[in-house]
Amino acid sequence: MQESDFFNGYKAISNVWDEMYASNLAVRSPYERVIDYLALESVEDLNKKEELAQRLFMKQGITFTVYNSGEGIEKIFPFDIIPRIITSAEWDFVEKGIKQRLTALNLFLKDIYHNQFIVKDNIVPIDVIYSCPHFLREMYQVGVPYDIYVHIAGIDLIRDENGDFLVLEDNLRTPSGVSYMLENREITKRLFPDLLPSCGVRGVNEYPTLLYKNLQSLSPRQISNPTVVLLSPGIYNSAYFEHTTLARLMGVELVEGRDLVVNNQKVYMKTTIGLQQVDVIYRRVDDEFLDPLVFKPESILGVAGIMGAYRKGNVAIVNAIGNGVADDKAIYSYVPDMIRYYLNEEPILKNVPTYRLSNPDAREFVFANINKMVVKKTNESGGYGMLMGHAASEQEIERYKQEILKAPRNFIAQPTIALSTAPCYIQGKLQPRRIDLRPYALCGPSGIEIVPGGLTRVALKEGSLVVNSSQGGGSKDTWVLTPPSPKGEVTKI
Amino acid sequence: MLSRVAASFYWLSRYVERSDGILRMLKINYASSQDAIHGFTWDPVIGIFAGGDYELAGKLQNDSRAVIKYMVSDKENQNSIISIVTMARENARSVQEHISTDLWQCLNEYYHTVKDINLGVRFKKEDPISVLDVLIKQVMLYYGTAEVTMERGPGRSFMNIGKYLERAIQSIDVLMIKFNSISDNPDLITDTTYWKHLLLSLGGYEIYLKTYRDGLEAQNVLEQVILNNDFPRSVIYSVDHIQRYFNRLQNDSSLSAYQEVSFYIGKLQSRIKYTPLKTLQGAALHEFLTGIKDELYQIGNLLNERYFANS
Repeated sequence: MQESDFFNGYKAISNVWDEMYASNLAVRSPYERVIDYLALESVEDLNKKEELAQRLFMKQGITFTVYNSGEGIEKIFPFDIIPRIITSAEWDFVEKGIKQRLTALNLFLKDIYHNQFIVKDNIVPIDVIYSCPHFLREMYQVGVPYDIYVHIAGIDLIRDENGDFLVLEDNLRTPSGVSYMLENREITKRLFPDLLPSCGVRGVNEYPTLLYKNLQSLSPRQISNPTVVLLSPGIYNSAYFEHTTLARLMGVELVEGRDLVVNNQKVYMKTTIGLQQVDVIYRRVDDEFLDPLVFKPESILGVAGIMGAYRKGNVAIVNAIGNGVADDKAIYSYVPDMIRYYLNEEPILKNVPTYRLSNPDAREFVFANINKMVVKKTNESGGYGMLMGHAASEQEIERYKQEILKAPRNFIAQPTIALSTAPCYIQGKLQPRRIDLRPYALCGPSGIEIVPGGLTRVALKEGSLVVNSSQGGGSKDTWVLTPPSPKGEVTKI
Repeated sequence: MLSRVAASFYWLSRYVERSDGILRMLKINYASSQDAIHGFTWDPVIGIFAGGDYELAGKLQNDSRAVIKYMVSDKENQNSIISIVTMARENARSVQEHISTDLWQCLNEYYHTVKDINLGVRFKKEDPISVLDVLIKQVMLYYGTAEVTMERGPGRSFMNIGKYLERAIQSIDVLMIKFNSISDNPDLITDTTYWKHLLLSLGGYEIYLKTYRDGLEAQNVLEQVILNNDFPRSVIYSVDHIQRYFNRLQNDSSLSAYQEVSFYIGKLQSRIKYTPLKTLQGAALHEFLTGIKDELYQIGNLLNERYFANS
């Protein structure tokens, strides 16, 4: 059946794991149904579907605004119509690995802001902690409900050439993108009628309910209906769409800093009837903007005095303040050691090999092999401030080296990992593009839960290895399949 | 309800209502410009919506298409449809989780329709009325969607208060412009097309014909626009509705705020009902209209202070 043009000429990149094709261009079994479905469609039909997807995103206002020459231009986050599929066995592995990692990271945060055993036992050097700009002395000895610091984690995974999952980075502050996980699924339902149920794709729309349940359970006041709010920087924030989506799906109030006020170390929101006490804040405002009295004094996104209310335990803030110390890129290389130290287990998910450039030997090695390295700043995210060794010019490398020598602590290097590729529908053809995976893990008093799915980001530029949306990345719907029923056995209904 | 959210509801609705008023006004004035044999002028429109910027009026040179383009798609003009709809949408965005998805999509479509770059070309080449009708239809869709899908809660009450406040102010504005011109040009008072246009731009011509059998008279026009309970753009109809929706906010108000605003709405209502319109002329009429407008603004300011926490 595979006669349509777009199947021909798919050139999988050598030495790279392709999600759909095995080495001899045989389709991997989870993709078979999808391919059969696509084979029945003409290129025109697929183009129509692509247009429909764009129109649906635009109509629903699922856009982010790019400010350019004084005028806001609305763009949709590019969406590729071909889903990315994860089998049930792969998912079980990923799920176990993330749960283990997140458990260790929560223990680390509790430890580092209290007794610092991990430092005293010489697992993590103290200077790495104290030199991290996101380590906040203001959090020292502050108790948080249930000792949970990371309530929502977006741990980025990639697959190497053998198809093994590796952790690329931990996002433990305000990971975004979960609304795209939800919306991409809704769009796919419209694009490919009946395909999802026939493939046995597990649902993701439980996420808001799980999140709300966790938030509610953190309320410092033991009352039946605590006030939970989502704190957003406002409509000009690029993730504002996500903030409203989550607030609506959870049925909580979306507030901005100016809606809140602190009185007598309690947080209130201004309503038409007067002040109403707030118990739990799911904030999407970064640490340093939260409280002008403690952090950046010029910030107007936060609330004066909120840190005092938090330390006093009168309000729960999610994620906890000061988490940045655990997802710093220099700390990242110590996470496997943390897992061994706190849990006495071997890490299930491996790290990408990482060289700490503060170590002279490692630095020398990296400089000698810079063409095979990616060098990253430890405190930047979003794909900014990176040096891609294989693509950079001599001068760029030289300049970057000087920068590294000035403050080696602020850099790490990783061998260029060949991210796995997945087929994307681009200009009427299937073409391989690099992808990663960000599942969203929720940690509450009753344990860690991960909805089966996540955000698959894709580098839409040909040959690009950077999947960040700020660098020309897009996304795909991510399917996690139900386990296949054992052969020969009739499923009972 | 959050104060900021209440304010956004209120302003969202005021802006949409304002865009509706402007579009209808443009449509009627364009139509009249087509059957005016002599001396049709856009000055009153520019007077209301550009704050009487006569330098600008000179620039537009009474060219209907230029005026329409300026009023619809000029981003520099704060009162152009595009500016107003952008602001309505910004307000809607900040309360997106409170309005129905349908309503948000409706407003979003309205915005994209106005923003469409083809619109400018169409105003140049096509019949402006049919292009204006496309936009008016978007507003009608918005009102229908709001009516059918909006939760009957305080949000909708704030929306309706904003809508009727804006409508009352617009009707008063139109009256003021028209009656002020009389003092410069007394002939107008007996010019029937002059009054017909006033009624048409408020959508009240047909009701007028049914109510008054003795032709177009300034006094009757005034009476209809101010006092006719059955005319949905009359001042009294709007003020009655402000009161009606405000009363529903009792449970979302502090007692003192509720009493204070209630008092001023009631006072305004009485002033309109119990002023003998027939005795008012010239300066007295002007004073009456200005007084009502001031009181409408006062209600807006009170809401801002007592409900939107912007004191």
